[in-house]
Amino acid sequence: MTVLGYLANGLVFSSIIVLGSIGLSLVYSIADFANFAHGDTMTIGAYTALVTFGAIGGLGGAVLGLPFGFFVALVVGIAAAAVVAVVTERLIYEPLEIDSIGLLITSIGIAFVYRALIQIRFGSDFTRFDIQPLRPIESLVPFGIRVTLHDVAIVVSAVILVVGLHVLLQYTDLGRKMRAMADNPDLARVSGIRTKRVKLWTWVIGAGLAGAGGVFLGLFNQLSPRMGFNLLLVIFAAVILGGIGSVYGAMAGGFLIGMINQLTPFFSDVVEALPIWPGWLARLLESLVSIEYANAIAFVIMVAVLLVRPNGIAGEGAT
Amino acid sequence: MSRLDDAKAAVTDLSRPERWVLTVSVGFALFLLAALLTGGLGPTYFLFLVGLAGMYALLSFGLNAQWGYTGLINFSVAAFFGIGAYGSALMTADGSPIAGGLSPLVGLAVALFVALLLALLIGIPTLRLRADYLAIASLGLAEVVRLVVLNERWLTNGSAGVRGIPGFFAGWPVLSTFPEAMPGLRLEVVPGSPVFLETAFWQASLNVLLVLAFAGATYFVLRRAHRSPWGRVLRTIRSDEDLARALGKNTYSFKMQSFVLGSLIMALAGVFYTHLNLYVGPGDLDPITTFYAWVAVILGGSGSNRGALFGGIVIVAIREGTRFLNDVALPVDPAPLRLLLIGVVIIAVMRYRPQGVLPPQRELIWPSAVDGGGRPERPDSGVRERKGGGDGE
Repeated sequence: MTVLGYLANGLVFSSIIVLGSIGLSLVYSIADFANFAHGDTMTIGAYTALVTFGAIGGLGGAVLGLPFGFFVALVVGIAAAAVVAVVTERLIYEPLEIDSIGLLITSIGIAFVYRALIQIRFGSDFTRFDIQPLRPIESLVPFGIRVTLHDVAIVVSAVILVVGLHVLLQYTDLGRKMRAMADNPDLARVSGIRTKRVKLWTWVIGAGLAGAGGVFLGLFNQLSPRMGFNLLLVIFAAVILGGIGSVYGAMAGGFLIGMINQLTPFFSDVVEALPIWPGWLARLLESLVSIEYANAIAFVIMVAVLLVRPNGIAGEGAT
Repeated sequence: MSRLDDAKAAVTDLSRPERWVLTVSVGFALFLLAALLTGGLGPTYFLFLVGLAGMYALLSFGLNAQWGYTGLINFSVAAFFGIGAYGSALMTADGSPIAGGLSPLVGLAVALFVALLLALLIGIPTLRLRADYLAIASLGLAEVVRLVVLNERWLTNGSAGVRGIPGFFAGWPVLSTFPEAMPGLRLEVVPGSPVFLETAFWQASLNVLLVLAFAGATYFVLRRAHRSPWGRVLRTIRSDEDLARALGKNTYSFKMQSFVLGSLIMALAGVFYTHLNLYVGPGDLDPITTFYAWVAVILGGSGSNRGALFGGIVIVAIREGTRFLNDVALPVDPAPLRLLLIGVVIIAVMRYRPQGVLPPQRELIWPSAVDGGGRPERPDSGVRERKGGGDGE
């Protein structure tokens, strides 16, 4: 594959990471804790879409290689993720009277419950959506880009969702309130914002985007009960890179981490080509920059960013 | 010790949850004893469970030294456990891709040394971070360790794992031949269901002896450390790090010491596991091990070593109990059931008893002021105490 090919893959993977990281960042800034159940919220979205799609089928026509039924399933998946998150918030998080560390630990328990329930119902094996896999788009293959129409659909849908969120945050009443709350919750409350309601909408939006990310991840790869949890640390890396609590930072961080993740094979080609001396160092670098360590590279970047700029690229409160 | 002299007073001195835990524990022990005597529970398997409980207790002691004492959120328990297990396995196993065939004592030393290096490697960059960042970063670094173990086949044998590990006492003068030398016994307590004690049983009892030695030593070191001035600094850091810094303490250095201490104990649990299970694989570094340890600590009560012990037993009950549940009642795969139980326990504890079932009592008070033997050290000028707060003496 060429550089362009890797970049195209990176763009698709980044779209998924961005969808996941926005929600995590939103919840981090408004509910004020690191939500470890976020990855499994993605899994919920994916599996709900799987069931829905299996039940309603294709529904005739198709857009970008995806039958209409898939988009219905996508919406149902988003809704299910949002509903589950709101119910969890109401039943579990809200009655708790503990600090953000306690909430963090609780969210791990919730992540396990989500994942266990999915695993009990669907088993731990990999499944996929019942959609015919497509061949790469012919006209792009000469450039070394091997993306399918499905990949294009993922990117387009992610762009639509992200632009929609941007409009919501900048031009609507709810968006202004959310930004005010992320900035200073106490000030927001005394200025008459119903913070509880805003918080609820934050959960709906964050979990909904996560659900969408989960559905696309299932389309991009496969579905498995661990899919979301496996991606969680990459998403954390993206959020931290962008600056925790900043939605636009999360977008940028998600884009970068997704790109770096998919560009790993390219980096390893580069390392192989470079005249590194002595030989053991070259071998070490080659083995470290291999595809098996794509996720590990993301974590190391995350730690490095935390050390140099604990507030991330976008810094604190830039929402 | 007055407590030993007067067991009744000791019982009345217990808090309500302590009494509750004591009752349940005694009941559970009686149940196990009955199962043992009637042959429902194989004695070898029972000792295996005891060993496993001891191992989880060790893991939670280690985590307790980090989270309970100092408030460090370490989500890389599995990495240290795995390093301990692999360190010892790679030194001692016949099937080891490197060295191999060495004495388990060498394995123990190497495992602890590698764990120390890893603790410094993870601790140096992450211990300066805010609490929740530390959680995320340590989970990420543990994942890196797992990926390395999974992929560096030349070092760790990759996904196949390491086999051919000897027992811990292999090569020791008397203990190495002890299980074979012991005669088989046949006990018949309940008529018709005899209980056999064979070589495997004696082997298992050696393992229990080992874990008791490890856990006992750890317990006393930790208790000593917790009561020392050093332990007091740690507790101050946990409740208010800025205060500790204002008092002129180098909090980073104290946190690092606590992190290293805890990590070494986790590696010790890994070493024991290696020689109990006789096989290690990359699956042992799965994050679920980390969360088992966390459940044990938060359930038992952060900062409390008794609680950690109790938590370890509960974890084994969950881990092995789901297996039975699966055999007897529900046709469900035990893995998700276990996950579900762990999740529910975490949520329930945080919801109803965030301080844990057996939280440390009076831990911020000078110990000699409350312990039974501390009477002479009481200040003589406690007039108020003698007049108003007298306890009927």
